[in-house]
Amino acid sequence: MSNFSLSSRSAQNVAVIMPKGYINDMGAVSLEQASEQLLGKGMDTLIVNFSNVQYINTIGISIFTGMVERTLEHNSVLCFTNMKKAHRDVFEMMGLIRHVKVFADEEDAIKFVKRKGQHDE
Amino acid sequence: MTNKKLDLKRLMFSMASLADLGQEATSSKDLSAKMKAALYVITGMFSVPSAALFVYHPHRHELELLVAKGHRDKALQEILLPIVSEQIKRLRPNDPHTTRDLAGSTFFERNRNEFSKLQTRIFIPLFVRGEFVGAVALGRKLGGAPFRPAEKDVLRVIAHQMAITLHNARLFLALANKAAENKKLYTSMQRIYHDTIEAFAAAIDAKDEYTKDHSYRVASYAVAIARELGWKKRDLEGLYIAGLLHDIGKIIIDVKVINKGATLSAPEISEIRKHPQISYNILSKIKFPWRNIEQFVLHHHERLDGKGYPDSLKDTELSDGVKILALVDAFDAMTSDRPYRDKLPLVEAFQEVMRCQGTQFDEKITNTFFNLLSRELSGEVKEPQILPHLQNMDMGSFKALASGYTM
Repeated sequence: MSNFSLSSRSAQNVAVIMPKGYINDMGAVSLEQASEQLLGKGMDTLIVNFSNVQYINTIGISIFTGMVERTLEHNSVLCFTNMKKAHRDVFEMMGLIRHVKVFADEEDAIKFVKRKGQHDE
Repeated sequence: MTNKKLDLKRLMFSMASLADLGQEATSSKDLSAKMKAALYVITGMFSVPSAALFVYHPHRHELELLVAKGHRDKALQEILLPIVSEQIKRLRPNDPHTTRDLAGSTFFERNRNEFSKLQTRIFIPLFVRGEFVGAVALGRKLGGAPFRPAEKDVLRVIAHQMAITLHNARLFLALANKAAENKKLYTSMQRIYHDTIEAFAAAIDAKDEYTKDHSYRVASYAVAIARELGWKKRDLEGLYIAGLLHDIGKIIIDVKVINKGATLSAPEISEIRKHPQISYNILSKIKFPWRNIEQFVLHHHERLDGKGYPDSLKDTELSDGVKILALVDAFDAMTSDRPYRDKLPLVEAFQEVMRCQGTQFDEKITNTFFNLLSRELSGEVKEPQILPHLQNMDMGSFKALASGYTM
């Protein structure tokens, strides 16, 4: 059984995704599906909060690679927050960091989204 | 991070990824789920958003898409890539081929459109001990960077492992299919076996009109009693077959003698008493998958008091199977019309059975039979096994008899 669960919330065009547990098997593919659904609903920013993520392996990296690809296709922004150093190092090594915005926490990410919104106007 | 440190980290990551792949390869998932997980491991290792894994069908000379990642177009799920053995021979086993490597080859040019739809950058043919089993098509890396030589080395190792996984899973699947096929064949042969035996029984019973369906009823009654006594399914099957064939020896006895009844001469009695031994002789030539059939048949005219035939065995020498057959054979004879007498009313047949308890019939077996029929009459038994064969008999009197007995 997969040790993974997922919750999300959205306001206006911003969705916050909270994965929980181990992103290391096919049970976590729901993360990719959830992000795709949110992008399909018109979200222009996805914020992934890693505070409850215990472990990410190559299957997890594959899932995030898919998420990056989809957000690029939708011209949306993907933000990662509350990342542990080990997770960040792996994303950096795999070249994913270049395609996402990394913030210390959700609050910082929301501030960035608001600023971006004002700037876009 | 220095280049040296980064290389070391990449090496560690590759090793961890290979461990992930090994875990997926040895999981108990079905072939598609296993290979999809393996595809996720590869795409995760190289940050490739899309990939596809094909399985090779040697008889159809084509690669069929088994699993894919990152392709949402439903039409892609049904992609087939034709490939003939000459083209397979030109592929380097488990080696990553770039689309530039493949350009110009008949295989690539013939499937160029499909490779384009799959955004293929790297194509890896999967081989196990020289046998082509499938292929992986990897899309471009996120950001578009080319695959580095070191990454291609890792891909070779992965390809080898994926080829083995695919090969083993297909072997297992083939074995499972074969086992299912054999089981189907066994069931079908068992059915033919039963049908043949039933045809034999019908031939025995058809010898004259009066014994029509006798073997079938004996078999049905016997199984009903044995089931009440808690026999196992396989032993019930054996007893059913013994019931169907118990009179097979009568096939070579003159029908006039069989139907002559009480006025038989001594030679005629001797003649008719040969039928259990003849039945035994016929059936002992057959290697039945059930135990004791020949013994049940040989002794179905034995009695508890040793006055039966052919071996004059006594109570303790008789198995429950023999005792059951002896009872139901006699009971059906009593409750069926014969050319020399009418059938007995049910009550009288049972009174006769009870009278012979301890001398001809076993008490436990007769009581079980009596109780089962009483329960069938009262509607307690969902699927009656005896009652349907006793139509046109006076059940009211039997009910009265049953209510007076305590067993």
